[in-house]
Amino acid sequence: MSEILKITGLTKKYGSLFAIDDLSLNIDKGDVFGILGPNGSGKTTTLSIVTGIIHATRGSFLWFGEKPHPSSYQRIGSLIETPNFYPYLSLYQNLHIVSKIKETPSKDINHVLGLTNLLARKHSQFITLSLGMKQRLGIAAAMLGNPEVLVLDEPTNGLDPEGFAEVRELILQEASAGKTIILASHVLDEVEKVCSHVAILKKGKILTSGKVHELLYKDDLIKITTKKSDELYEALIRGGWTKTIEKEENEIRLTLNSDKTPGALNEFAFKNGFILDKIEVLKQSLESQFLEIVK
Amino acid sequence: MKKLLQIELIKTLNNSTFKIILILHFLLFLLLVYVSTRIDLSVPGFSTQKMFMFPNVWPLFTWYASWFNLLFLGIIIIILTGNEFSFKTSRLMITNGLSRNEFLLGKGILILLISAWGLILIFLAGSVTGFIFTEDFSLIIFFENTYILLVYFVQAIAYMCLALLFSTIFKNNALSIMIYLLYFIMIEPIFRLFLPKLVRPYFPVKVISGLTPVPEFLSLASDKTFISTNGQSQLDFESMGILPEAIPLHTSLILSVLYISLFVIASWYIVKKKDL
Repeated sequence: MSEILKITGLTKKYGSLFAIDDLSLNIDKGDVFGILGPNGSGKTTTLSIVTGIIHATRGSFLWFGEKPHPSSYQRIGSLIETPNFYPYLSLYQNLHIVSKIKETPSKDINHVLGLTNLLARKHSQFITLSLGMKQRLGIAAAMLGNPEVLVLDEPTNGLDPEGFAEVRELILQEASAGKTIILASHVLDEVEKVCSHVAILKKGKILTSGKVHELLYKDDLIKITTKKSDELYEALIRGGWTKTIEKEENEIRLTLNSDKTPGALNEFAFKNGFILDKIEVLKQSLESQFLEIVK
Repeated sequence: MKKLLQIELIKTLNNSTFKIILILHFLLFLLLVYVSTRIDLSVPGFSTQKMFMFPNVWPLFTWYASWFNLLFLGIIIIILTGNEFSFKTSRLMITNGLSRNEFLLGKGILILLISAWGLILIFLAGSVTGFIFTEDFSLIIFFENTYILLVYFVQAIAYMCLALLFSTIFKNNALSIMIYLLYFIMIEPIFRLFLPKLVRPYFPVKVISGLTPVPEFLSLASDKTFISTNGQSQLDFESMGILPEAIPLHTSLILSVLYISLFVIASWYIVKKKDL
């Protein structure tokens, strides 16, 4: 797989606040890569840096294996934060500007307007559009010139359920055509239904990243209550039992490594003299898993 | 360059604010020309109508137009550049593959185009007025003093480059326009008062506005009998204290070009370094 985007140690500081902190990420060709995180986690900042809008305080990134150059951005279609267009220009005129910058034929404009169901409004001024239509125009602009990569920041913002489904379908279509898609969202459902890979951000740091089905579906959360929680906590870490573990008073919350089972954990505790007051195996919903990760 | 020109034309020619300001610029300038030509104050040896003859018309009209440079053309650039930041369309430009240099170069092309518009307007208005008022027309007197048109062109660029700088600094149209006008009317003039007389003429506003100085109306309106044999005006308003001391035109031109470079470099630095 060839590398499309490689981010190394990216940091952005606003005063003393780290919007993103030492963030590293690799995205390969054909990935539909979700960047998931709560509001303020650094998703938009990350995408703004890699699309050239803002400067990083530290760190670097490569597009297509090279240092970013304006011509790299001609190969990328992006929608960052909100769709930014000239309010007094028509949809066609706005996209005409984009096509001039990208040096793509202007006949493509009608094609992308058709794909986003905006063809009938092509002569309307941007300012007259509803929020959802503006968002769709942002997507149309991103798709103009058939770019190799789509960078979409909250693309379903302001869309009704029908619009949401249409955009999702559009993204999946583009992905099946072999495009690389980078999608930032705080909507789990969006990521779950669209992405192959995901990185979860919190407070500017990547908490975890990997394939969606491995990250968000695999691990059950186990809650153990015992009076000897400190000793058990240490023993579990030493024994390499856990993928994630944390302790609060007498309660230990963990996810098991793939070669371990809850039954084996129970047996291990018993054999080592730990009396478990309670052991709970929680089948995690996607949402609870996400909340657990970002907690 | 062609690409940038096409992009800027799509943006500006469809912008109603731009069109209204440009039409106002055109109409008000012509109105000023028309009204001033209708005023006829004549005494023996003196007639205001002589100001509209070749070659007197060129310094007069460039002086008229210099006020429009400040008020209309500078403000046009602030609005067009400020819009890019307030609509966040500067982001649209960059994320789709325009470099920050190209983004600024687009504005530079616009400044040249608008300056050329002003130049053409003065040339046409001056030519028509001059033809109407000049009795003994010759190509020599037609072209005499036309260098002032190029000086005007430099002045228009300088005003708009300063406007561009304010716009990139403040990124807000209302604030930029206010500070731009205040800078001309109050900030620099007051600041100059606190400095030694020797350095006062070298400040940006002084230098740039000095490119098209207040015409010596009495000289322009006087009969040739009032002009000495070597062609110099006998009425020296500077020595009479009516006109402030000005620095020589070629010095003003060089300094204006330096100030233009400074404004462009400062704007470039801000656009290059700041987040959009």
